[in-house]
Amino acid sequence: MIGPELMGIDKLELGIKDPDSGALKPVLKSISLQLGRGEAIGLVGESGSGKSMTLRCVLGIEPRNAVVSGRIMFDGEDLRSLPSERMRRVRSGRIALISQNPHAALNPVLPIETYLLEGMPEIRDARAARARAGELLEQVGIRSVDRVLKAFPHQLSGGMLQRVVIAGAISGKPELLLADEPTTALDVTTQAEVAAILDEKRRDLGMSMIFVTHDLDLAAAVTDRLAVMRYGEIVEIGTPEQIRDNPQHPYTRMLMSIRPTLDGIRPAAPASFGAAPHQEIGSIL
Amino acid sequence: MRFLVRRLLALGGVLIASSMIVFGALYLAPGSPEQFLVQGRTVSPEVLDAIRAQYSLDDPLPVRYWNWLSGLFTGDMGRSLLTQQDVGALLASRIPTTLSLAAYAALLIIVGGIGLGILAGTRGGVAERIVIFASNLGIAVPTFFAALVLMAVFSVGLGWFPVFGAGEGAVDRVWHLTLPALALSLPSIAVIARITRTAIVEESESEHVLIAVARGLPKRIILWRHTVRNSLLPVTTAVGMHIAGLVAGAFVVEYAFTLDGIGALLVNSVQRKDFAVVQAIALIMVIAFGVVNLLVDLLYTVIDPRVRLKKGQ
Amino acid sequence: MTTSETAAVAEAAAPAAPAIPKNRLGGARRRLGWIGMACVGLVAAVVLAAVVGQFLVPYDPTVGSVTQRHLGSSAEHLLGTDQAGRDIFSRLIAGARTSLLGPLIVVGATAVAGSALALAAVWFGGKVDAFLGRVLDVLFAFPSLLLAILGVAIFGPGLVTASIALAVAYIPYSARVIRSVALRERHLPYVKAAELQGINGFTITVRHILPNVWTQILTGSTINFGYAIVDLAALSFLGLGIQPPEADWGLMISNGQESLQQGFPEQSLYAGLCIVATVAAMAYIGERLGGRAAAGRSKR
Repeated sequence: MIGPELMGIDKLELGIKDPDSGALKPVLKSISLQLGRGEAIGLVGESGSGKSMTLRCVLGIEPRNAVVSGRIMFDGEDLRSLPSERMRRVRSGRIALISQNPHAALNPVLPIETYLLEGMPEIRDARAARARAGELLEQVGIRSVDRVLKAFPHQLSGGMLQRVVIAGAISGKPELLLADEPTTALDVTTQAEVAAILDEKRRDLGMSMIFVTHDLDLAAAVTDRLAVMRYGEIVEIGTPEQIRDNPQHPYTRMLMSIRPTLDGIRPAAPASFGAAPHQEIGSIL
Repeated sequence: MRFLVRRLLALGGVLIASSMIVFGALYLAPGSPEQFLVQGRTVSPEVLDAIRAQYSLDDPLPVRYWNWLSGLFTGDMGRSLLTQQDVGALLASRIPTTLSLAAYAALLIIVGGIGLGILAGTRGGVAERIVIFASNLGIAVPTFFAALVLMAVFSVGLGWFPVFGAGEGAVDRVWHLTLPALALSLPSIAVIARITRTAIVEESESEHVLIAVARGLPKRIILWRHTVRNSLLPVTTAVGMHIAGLVAGAFVVEYAFTLDGIGALLVNSVQRKDFAVVQAIALIMVIAFGVVNLLVDLLYTVIDPRVRLKKGQ
Repeated sequence: MTTSETAAVAEAAAPAAPAIPKNRLGGARRRLGWIGMACVGLVAAVVLAAVVGQFLVPYDPTVGSVTQRHLGSSAEHLLGTDQAGRDIFSRLIAGARTSLLGPLIVVGATAVAGSALALAAVWFGGKVDAFLGRVLDVLFAFPSLLLAILGVAIFGPGLVTASIALAVAYIPYSARVIRSVALRERHLPYVKAAELQGINGFTITVRHILPNVWTQILTGSTINFGYAIVDLAALSFLGLGIQPPEADWGLMISNGQESLQQGFPEQSLYAGLCIVATVAAMAYIGERLGGRAAAGRSKR
C-alpha cells in the first residue's frame, strides 16, 4: 500500500575532488526521485553508475572529498541541511542501511549481541534488550539464537550475517530502508533466501525501500518501481512491467535486449555502449 | 590450551639452544678456556683449581654443559672470576633495580606512547603535527644520548633529579629511576605514538566504522569502542616487542646512570672480563626476552577473538 | 623483471621498507624537497669528514693540553675543549670516520651473510630451509645488543670485533626479509624454466634471483645503516667498541659524561647531536625517496 510521499531527492549532484589537480570529477548528475511511504524503488545499473553513492548521500556518509549540491527531503525536512546531531538521530531511528559485505560492515572483535544492542539505544534494560535481540533474530529466520548472539562475525556465514544485519536494520522500525546490493556477495541459493526475508520484513513493517542492484530480475521481484541509472543519471523510471515491455530510453532497451535467458544469450552489445567512459563493460545483467 | 603448550615447548627448545650458545661461547675464544677465564691475571693455584671445578674443565664437553645448566637451575651459577662472590647472590641483589626500571619504562611506553598516539589520531590538527614531529625526532635519538641530555638538563642543570644511583625505599626509588626510565622509553614512545596514530587513522576509514556512522551511533562510542579499540590490536604487538626490547636497552641506561642493576653489572663484567658473570646474565636476559615475547603473543590471542577462536582456546 | 616490478615485489614482501629507485636522479631531487636536499648536504658533509677529515683537522684530535681544559667556544676552538684539553671540533670531524666506518662494515657483512643464507635457504628449500630457520630462530632469541656484547666479551673490544658482533645480531632480521622476497622469485615460472634447462642452482641464483632481490638488499642495508650507527655508538659508549684516545662520537659521549656532570656538557652533547643529525637526515632521505620508512621495527 503506497502512501503519501516520504522522500524526495531533488537535483542531487555529486562530484569528487581530485586531490592533486583540484578538478571535480562528476559522479551524480542531477538525480531526482520521489518515494512514497511503503513504496520500494529499485536503482539498477552497472558498476560505477552512481547507485551506491546516491544511497550514501541520503545518509550523509559520502566521501570527505565529495562536493554535493541539491536537496534530499525526508518527511518535510532537507536532510542535507540538518545539524549533525539531528542527522544522527535520523540515522539512528528512521533510516537504516544494509550494505553489500556484512563481514566488513560489522566490527570483527565484537559479538553479534553487542552489534544488535547498539542499534537499540532506546531500550535501557540490558535483559529486555537482549530478549528483543533474540526476537529479532527469530524474525529473520535464525533458530539457534543463543549461539548466534554470542558468536563473532567471522564465525558466521555471509547469509547468516546478512540476516543479522537485516535484524539490526529493522530493530528501530525505520521508515526507510536503504539496501545496497545486499545479496550480491552471497551465493545463489542464499541470495534468494535473504532477498525473500528482506522483502517479507519490509512489507510487514510497511517500510519504504531503495534497493540498489545490478540484477534486474531481483529488483523487479522486490520493488514497485525501477529506476535505471547510467553515468550518474537516472535515464528511465517505471514499473518493472513498463521497463520490460516498453523501454523508452535506448540504454534501457539495450539492457533488456542483452539479458541472457534460459532460451539463450542474445547478441552481445558493442563493448562501450553502456559503460561509463573510463570503464570496461563489467557486470551486465 | 594446545596453542599455549606448543608455544611453551617451542620456547623451551629455543632457550636450550640459546643456552648452548651462551655456554659454548667460552670455547670460541682464542686460547684455552682457562687462559680465557683467567685473562692473564695472576691467580693462586687454589683459585685455578676452583675455576677448573666450576667449569668442570676436566670432564668431557656434554658433561660440562649439563653441570653448568643443572647448576643454574639449583641457583648455583658459580663464582665471579674476579671477586669470588657467588654469582647467584650477586644477581639476586641487583635484579630488583633492573626490574623496577623496566617496569617503569614499560608503563611510560604504554601510557605515553599509546596516549600520545591516541591524542594525535583522534584530535588531529596541531596536536597531531607536534606528535609526528616529536616522534620523528625521538626515533633518531639513541637511548644513551637521551639519557645524557636528560641528565644534563634535569639533574645537573635544574637539579630536579639525582644524577646516579637507584635510591632507597619506594618513593626515593621512583624519583631516582624517573630519568633513566624516561631515557629508556623515549625512542619507544616515539615509535609507538607513531604506530598508534597511523592505526587510528586507518581504522577510522574502515568500513565498519563507516557503517557505525550510518547507524547513527553516538560519536563517543564510534570513537572509543570502534575506532580506538580496534586500532589497539596492531599496536599491542608493537608495544610488546618494544617492552621485550627493554631487556637490552636497560644496560645502556643503567651504565649511564650508574644504577645497580644487572645490565650495568653485565657491562662492567665484560669490561673486566669476568666471564662467569657475563654468561649468567646473558642467559637470564635471553630467558626474560623469550618469556616476554611469549606473553605478548598470548596477550594478542586474548584480545583478538579471530585469533583466539581459531586456535580453539 | 623491471625495476618497478621488483620494487613492487619488495614492497609487498616487506611493506615497511622503502624502495630506492635506481636511475631517477632528477626525479629524486624533486621528491626530496628543500629539507631533503639539506639532509643530503649534511650526510655528504659527514661522509667527507669521514674520508678526508683526519687530514684537515685544525688540531690533533687525540692530543690535548691540560691547561686548555673545558674551554668554551672561541675563535681558536670552535666548539671548545674537553676535559683533557682536546679540541672538540677536531674530534668530531675525526670521529666521523669510525662512526661511519663501523656501520659500513656491519651493513656489508650483514648484507653478504644475510643474502647468502637467505638465498641458500630459498634455493635448496626443504630441510636446509627448515634447519636454517631453526638456527635463525635461536639467534632471534637474543636481543641484538646482547649478542653484540657477548661477541665483544669473547673477542675483545674494538671497531672490528664490535662491528662483526653487531652484524651477527642483524643477520637474522636481514635474512628473514630477503628470504621472503627471494621465495617469491624462486617459484616464478622463469626460474623453473631455467632449472629445466639444466642450469645449475648457483648460476640461477646469482644470475636471475639475485638481481631481483637486490633492491630489497639495498633497502634493508640503508635502514640497517642507521640502526648500526646508533648501536655501535652505544657499544662505544659502554666502552666495548672504539677505545680511547681515538675519537668516535659514541665514545665521546661517554668520555664527556663526567664533564657533563660537572657542568660542561659540550663534548657529549655535540657528539650526540652529530649522531642524531646524521641518523635523522638519512631516515628523512630514505622516507622521501621511497615511501614510508620502517617506523616501528624494534630489534633491541
